Amino acid sequence: MSFSLNAEELKKYQPNRFPFLMIDIVEDVEPGQYAKGYKNLTNNEWYFPMHFPGAPNMPGALQLEAMAQMLTVAITTQEGLSGAVTHALEHTVRFRKEVLPGDCLRIEAFIDSWRRGICKGHAFGYTNGEVACQAKMMITIPDILEQYLPKR
Amino acid sequence: MSAQEKYDEAFIETFEIEKSDLTEKLEYQSIPAWDSVGHMALMAEIEEVFDIMLEMDDILEFGSYTTGRETLKKYDVEF
Repeated sequence: MSFSLNAEELKKYQPNRFPFLMIDIVEDVEPGQYAKGYKNLTNNEWYFPMHFPGAPNMPGALQLEAMAQMLTVAITTQEGLSGAVTHALEHTVRFRKEVLPGDCLRIEAFIDSWRRGICKGHAFGYTNGEVACQAKMMITIPDILEQYLPKR
Repeated sequence: MSAQEKYDEAFIETFEIEKSDLTEKLEYQSIPAWDSVGHMALMAEIEEVFDIMLEMDDILEFGSYTTGRETLKKYDVEF
């Protein structure tokens, strides 16, 4: 059964905090399947003054981070994983348009596989109904992964 | 394709190595590709190739090219 998470509730499943929490709301999450939500961008975002003066736009690395954080929620809402620390393993990202002050970055993240502490997934970021960024991602929960590794 | 050929191909495909690399010296963390993520990729490939589901203890014991063969014998894979 899917459910939503408000700005405070999502912190139970997403360990990042200001200024590095890159998602505001999770409107719909199906644990182990997908998470969908958004980040509202205002002129007050900490990175706009320097990226770039006179032409502010959301850094691509942070767009990727936002997609990874949404995918993490799809992982950590599974039973027993709340609050688990995740690490990125491998991401491939494509940027299609600038994400600007005043935009709402809508993110849809999907788990393609979840096994032995490794998640393979993908996500799209949309502004004004168009794809702004997309990524294929591999994320792990190290505490689980390490349980399956040979001892040397 | 024989079990041995399937086994070898799993290593070659997963780690992008040559057949000549398949020796008793090939073990977990002996090459950059056989790291933690590589280990999970190898286990997934082995499971698919032999149509088996490895137990957790066997994934832990699968520490080398040589010992992996012994592990698979538990699953009725005959080399």
